[in-house]
Amino acid sequence: MAQEIVEGGRQRGWLLEPEAKELCKAYGLPVGDWRVARYEAEALGYSADLGFPLAMKIVSSDIIHKSDVGGVLLGIDCPEKVMDAFASLKAVADRTGSRFEGVIMERMAKPGIETIIGAKRDPQFGPVVMFGVGGIFVEIFEDVSFRVAPIDGGDAMEMISELKALPLLRGARGRKPVDLESLADALIRVSRLMIENGGVSEVDLNPTLGYEDGCKVVDARIILERA
Amino acid sequence: MGDMDLMFNPKSIAVIGASRNPKKIGYELVSNILAGGYEGKLYPVNTEGAEIMGMKSYTSVMDVPGEVDLAVIAVPAVYVPDIMEECGKKGIKTALVISSGFKEMGNEELESKLLSIARRHGIRMLGPNIFGLYYSPSRMNATFGLSSVFPGGIAFITQSGALGIAMMGWTNLYRIGVSAVVSMGNKADIEESDMLDYFKDDPHTKAILMYIEGAKDGRRLIDSIKRTTITKPVVALKSGRTEKGASAAASHTGSLAGSDRIYDAAFRQGGALRASDFAQAFDWVKLMTAQPPPPSENCLILTNGGGVGVMTTDACEESGVNVWPLPDGLQAEFKKFIPIFGNFKNPVDLTGQAYEESYYRSVELSLKDPRIGSVIVLYCQTAITDPVSIAKSVIDACEAGHCGKTILSSFIGGSQCDDAMKKLDEHGIPSYPIPERAVSSLAAYYRWQRFKQRHGR
Repeated sequence: MAQEIVEGGRQRGWLLEPEAKELCKAYGLPVGDWRVARYEAEALGYSADLGFPLAMKIVSSDIIHKSDVGGVLLGIDCPEKVMDAFASLKAVADRTGSRFEGVIMERMAKPGIETIIGAKRDPQFGPVVMFGVGGIFVEIFEDVSFRVAPIDGGDAMEMISELKALPLLRGARGRKPVDLESLADALIRVSRLMIENGGVSEVDLNPTLGYEDGCKVVDARIILERA
Repeated sequence: MGDMDLMFNPKSIAVIGASRNPKKIGYELVSNILAGGYEGKLYPVNTEGAEIMGMKSYTSVMDVPGEVDLAVIAVPAVYVPDIMEECGKKGIKTALVISSGFKEMGNEELESKLLSIARRHGIRMLGPNIFGLYYSPSRMNATFGLSSVFPGGIAFITQSGALGIAMMGWTNLYRIGVSAVVSMGNKADIEESDMLDYFKDDPHTKAILMYIEGAKDGRRLIDSIKRTTITKPVVALKSGRTEKGASAAASHTGSLAGSDRIYDAAFRQGGALRASDFAQAFDWVKLMTAQPPPPSENCLILTNGGGVGVMTTDACEESGVNVWPLPDGLQAEFKKFIPIFGNFKNPVDLTGQAYEESYYRSVELSLKDPRIGSVIVLYCQTAITDPVSIAKSVIDACEAGHCGKTILSSFIGGSQCDDAMKKLDEHGIPSYPIPERAVSSLAAYYRWQRFKQRHGR
């Protein structure tokens, strides 16, 4: 199945978010439950299945950076707002002249520590896995660690322990510590995904939220080697 | 792989392209092999067949009467494939291709032609585009570098020729001994991984220092570093820190994963100790080849000056060396011979009045205690003490109490301190003119020790 997803996106050069999440799911990465609505009525129906509050994002083969064009709407907490959101996401497609392939809907994740899990293919070392703590730690301090895949549990824990932001994960300022084992497990799964799918050139699970118990991949961007 | 041993311990060497003209590399090679004291058979090969340095030469390697274990090839690039073919026919299994003018000048085709000939004959080839190979146990200096090299326990693998030759000079200047100097060149056949696999099992090599610019197969490099570092430390120097990934960054990971950061991770993953510059790399391997690794995390600092003791403690704390708070019992032992205004915790301050006996007894005491893993001996020059004589008492105490701990020193002061440190170095107690350099070396040794412990041994 993973192979089909990757092959399906080769022409485009990257995976739509629902495809990316499907691929993550195939590797046992902790993604949430989502639906893709094509019509307003469908969106309303799904919102009842999923529950509020919701995140709604545009799905379009022409839009890779969704938030840059206003394609990400968060905290939608009632059916009226679902309709508004649907309309405004459709308008984004019209305004930017992009194909409208639906809206991905997902229950808002509960707050946690933002981390980033990534991977890329290095010309000399092959697949490489990355871990960092989100927000300014990645943006400003480039506080990230790398390992060459395949990695094992020991490697993954070392990646996590190397970060300057480690105290944040260990529960600074009275917070509960984050489940580091679950993050390590996610890193190992991404390493496997990269090893087994030569067509995937880059993975960005940003953010992946860390909780006291488990973690959750909130957004997934997967870039492919073009066919 | 077994053939690699023929390259390091050949019973006979043919230098193809040997020359009687002192300005030629082919002259330098023969002359260095002779000067190094190589005891096997040496066959100069030269198209003219003239006598070279008193030896008969042959017009072709195929005319050499006996078996040849190693061919050293220094003829213009275009002739090298034919020479390699002849080496194959002669049954030679290892070759150093000194000649340049291959891939490094865009002649990729010539290089792959050469490689395929070597492969067809089962010849392991180092190069092309190298300054040669030096290996002290077989007294083989098959290089056009310096004729004299200080022998010791460091294997130096270098992708830079100029640095390698300069390094041969450093070994004499800084009394840092090498078991091998390997010029990697274009790495058409033999790569760093092959060399690491060889030195891993080489009893004459205690630590490996590797200067690398790029790897052909990164994953293989990590794996061989990991195999090696379980037995002996690998110190890595990598240049090109500022290079940015060429691929357009479509993701966060892409933009953050510059190639140098990947190297950094790869070295960590394999357990190689990455040094930031040459001086640091030498400092580290100097300690690692002279002293056993620390058997415990506890480090003791002995000093005759408070300030330098505190600075050394800071450096230890910052680099993960545990300055062990001395228990009362041990403090009482030190109090027996240190003036009352000294410090008995750690760093132990012997005070500016510390003479030979004080140093001797402190070192003796530190080496005796099984809880201590490493000892840093500091000395600041004073008007009333003689550095050389203090050094001697440290040496005597170490020799009397040799016990598998890591002991190193730093003598701070003028030229007499330099003399003292030379003496310490000669007796296998590495010394550094700046205490932070001693600490940096010890910290690297601890990192290696911890990596080994984490990975099962």
